[in-house]
Amino acid sequence: MHIPDGYLSPASCVTLYGLSSVSWYSALQRIKRNIASRTIPLISVFAAFTFVIMMFNLPLPGGTTGHATGVAIATIVLGPAASIIAVSIALALQALLFGDGGISTLGANTFNMAVVGSLVAYALYHAIAGSSEITSRRRILAAAVAGYLSCNAAALVAGFELGIQPTLYHDPSGAPLYAPYPLRIALPAIMIGHLTIAGLAEAVVTAGIVSYLQRADLGLFNHAQVALPAFPSKGSGASRLWLMVAVLALLTPLGVLAVGKAWGEWSASDFENQQARAEIARTSRQVEPPPTPSGIRKLSGLWTAPFPDYAPAFIKNPIFGYVLSAMFGVGVLASASAAVDRILRRKPKGELES
Amino acid sequence: MQVFQISAASFQYDGISAIRDLTLNISGGERTVLLGANGSGKSTLLRMLDGLCFPSHGSITAFGDPLTQHSLNNLEFNFNFRRRVGLVFQNPDAQLFNSTVFEEVAYSPLQLGWTREELHRRVEETLEFMGISHLRDRSPYRLSGGEKKRVAIASVIVLNPDVLLLDEPTATLDPRSTSQLVDLIQQWKGSTKTVITATQQLDIVEDIADRVLILKEGSLLADGTPSQILSNTQLLLTTNLIHAHRHTHGNVIHAHPHLHRHSHDEHEH
Amino acid sequence: MRHSIESTLHHFSHALSNALISEKIAARQTLLQKIDVRIRLIGTLLLLIAVVLSHTYRGILVLLAIALCLAILSGVSLFTLAKRVWTVVFLFTAVIAFPALVLTPGPPISSAFGHFQVTETGLRTAILLVLRVETAITITAVLVLSTPWNKLLLATRALGLPAEIVTILGMTHRYIFLLLETASQMFESRKSRTVGILHNADQRSGAGKTAAVLMMKTMDLGNDVYTAMIARGFSGEARILEEPRLRSRDFIALLAFASAAFFCFWIGR
Repeated sequence: MHIPDGYLSPASCVTLYGLSSVSWYSALQRIKRNIASRTIPLISVFAAFTFVIMMFNLPLPGGTTGHATGVAIATIVLGPAASIIAVSIALALQALLFGDGGISTLGANTFNMAVVGSLVAYALYHAIAGSSEITSRRRILAAAVAGYLSCNAAALVAGFELGIQPTLYHDPSGAPLYAPYPLRIALPAIMIGHLTIAGLAEAVVTAGIVSYLQRADLGLFNHAQVALPAFPSKGSGASRLWLMVAVLALLTPLGVLAVGKAWGEWSASDFENQQARAEIARTSRQVEPPPTPSGIRKLSGLWTAPFPDYAPAFIKNPIFGYVLSAMFGVGVLASASAAVDRILRRKPKGELES
Repeated sequence: MQVFQISAASFQYDGISAIRDLTLNISGGERTVLLGANGSGKSTLLRMLDGLCFPSHGSITAFGDPLTQHSLNNLEFNFNFRRRVGLVFQNPDAQLFNSTVFEEVAYSPLQLGWTREELHRRVEETLEFMGISHLRDRSPYRLSGGEKKRVAIASVIVLNPDVLLLDEPTATLDPRSTSQLVDLIQQWKGSTKTVITATQQLDIVEDIADRVLILKEGSLLADGTPSQILSNTQLLLTTNLIHAHRHTHGNVIHAHPHLHRHSHDEHEH
Repeated sequence: MRHSIESTLHHFSHALSNALISEKIAARQTLLQKIDVRIRLIGTLLLLIAVVLSHTYRGILVLLAIALCLAILSGVSLFTLAKRVWTVVFLFTAVIAFPALVLTPGPPISSAFGHFQVTETGLRTAILLVLRVETAITITAVLVLSTPWNKLLLATRALGLPAEIVTILGMTHRYIFLLLETASQMFESRKSRTVGILHNADQRSGAGKTAAVLMMKTMDLGNDVYTAMIARGFSGEARILEEPRLRSRDFIALLAFASAAFFCFWIGR
């Protein structure tokens, strides 16, 4: 599931690094406030543990073998914030030192496995285990399900990322520049392996460790959990970040000033206009553009359609569209950050805080 | 000068009493050995002396000041204490947590805020002293037991502490490294350094200490000179420090406590 | 049935051997190795960005040529690269890229596979993918194989990572090998105690137990390291050794990297 360099476009890499960075920042704030000094060694050794677990070749029902990531058990024992950091560290070392997973795609890999994996595992484990006894069988079931589904959730996101590459990023002749398979091929290809093998491996490891701990060392469940503190006030760090983002959002209209249209950003009317067609051909190495592709024709009405004809003219202005898109993009990032914050903040029922 | 004063201290963890009602005074310049079998509380006592755990009952003072979580929260007191007392842990893998030997020895000075020049000078000096300069860029993972121990000791003496606490320092060492370590501790005889060594190895006790304390299940059983304690074979047997040696003569089974001692009159080379 | 244990052990030793090779190559002190690690790291990242931004073969091929030059200047033989990096990556990527030959819509160029037609776009995309992946991994491998790993991790400070993260990276790396060794020993002891053929379910529960025990040891280690850090003066704020100042040759190297990256980006648009 580690995506290597070359499979994701620069834009995808940057976006996913952005989402990961927001998550790392949130997670670090959570941890620092609470455990402070103990964090550094705890996260380090757990990251090393995760790294080693990823190498375990586990025998599975049916005679196959598979690998787990250890994200679910890290979340159960350390809590999602510490898990996000620890697993990200393990993935970073795998990418940099062992060539497992790319460096440009590290943001994507950490987002898929560390962030999505931890959050899904956390939500499911506590949803199923509820406030049942620490030693109950229900916890084992919760662990297995959390492992299985968090693994598949990560794979799903990865499959999605890979599957949209050919549609969005291809050269003038239509050849995909990065991952070559569209969603309808990429998703099933990735999901089959995870639904049957990797997910099971994750379930086996997660449930196996929880059941062992129930018998051998209950203290681990309580002592190690990184308790979640209250939301810190917007300190200088957080507000500086948002200031940066706000500035960037305001600068986006500068893109309209770039001479000519960016390659690929043509509208349906450009395909019908002779002059525009010449321009398209020029920027596409003299390849004659086809008559308006049906997809573009369908999509082109989408922006103006919601606004009825009597709406003021500026709404249909592309510059306005740019700024609105930027604000929307920032809004997505902000909501993502708030969502991550909210999930990390929620204290699980019935668990002791250390 | 009293370096440590422990008064009726008790400490438990996980429901087990590790230290029971212990009272002890250690003076400056003393070389002491803590004898005791596994689980006797030696490690816990050393950690208490290093301000890493605190008694639930009773009290402990270091250099005249109370040693508590609260007093150590004061940054200046903390730095001062950490500079003056150093502990060499039993498990070298937990103690050596930096990526290279140089970084390891530089760790304490770095944390205590030394300047770059001071730090480099002192670290080089210490590496030289312990004979490990050639290991400076190596990862602790790949060192031998003896090398790890030398790095661990270097990382503690780099600050030139007044008190040196050693937790079973010979446990992972081969005989040659053991004798090198004993030589090192002997170097501090007669200096102002206070050395407290926890060990089960009886045959080095006379070389490294002037005072011997015996611990059993968290209590102080005996306090005397090496010759006093080591000749008390009954005591040593009951505290599991020596084994009863059995051999047979025909039908008779002969048992006596077994302890190797060397007297300095019968030296052989 | 023993396959999974052996496969796991194989993974472990492969990881360990990677580290050892790097240490050997990094000791050669070739031209490029004399450049500050931080500059080499940033330079590598710039070249990597150029690889990912490239839309045509031209850009990528020039980058590959540059990577090969870097390899030689860094003391990494092309043979080592071929053996450790290219073959594995090529096989892996070729398997993934192969179906794209026939699945990508576009003008067909050959009916070599009967019903399935290889398209021109399919060929282009497959070649582009393989080239891009191989070049990217070559650029990274050259850096990693010719730099001591702890220095490389410390250099990430130059990327603006906070001191805590840089510390965690180094510490994790330091303990990965310890845990690998511990896990290896546990697996080997299980293997040697396995008489006859283990049923899959038993194998599974065995693996689960090993993972659990490893985790418990991990937590203990974490606590021990924390205590050791406190004992050495750690007071909550991570501090890292200052790196030596950059020299003029480092800035020249940075300029060279940046120009090369930009040039390749330009011709690859």
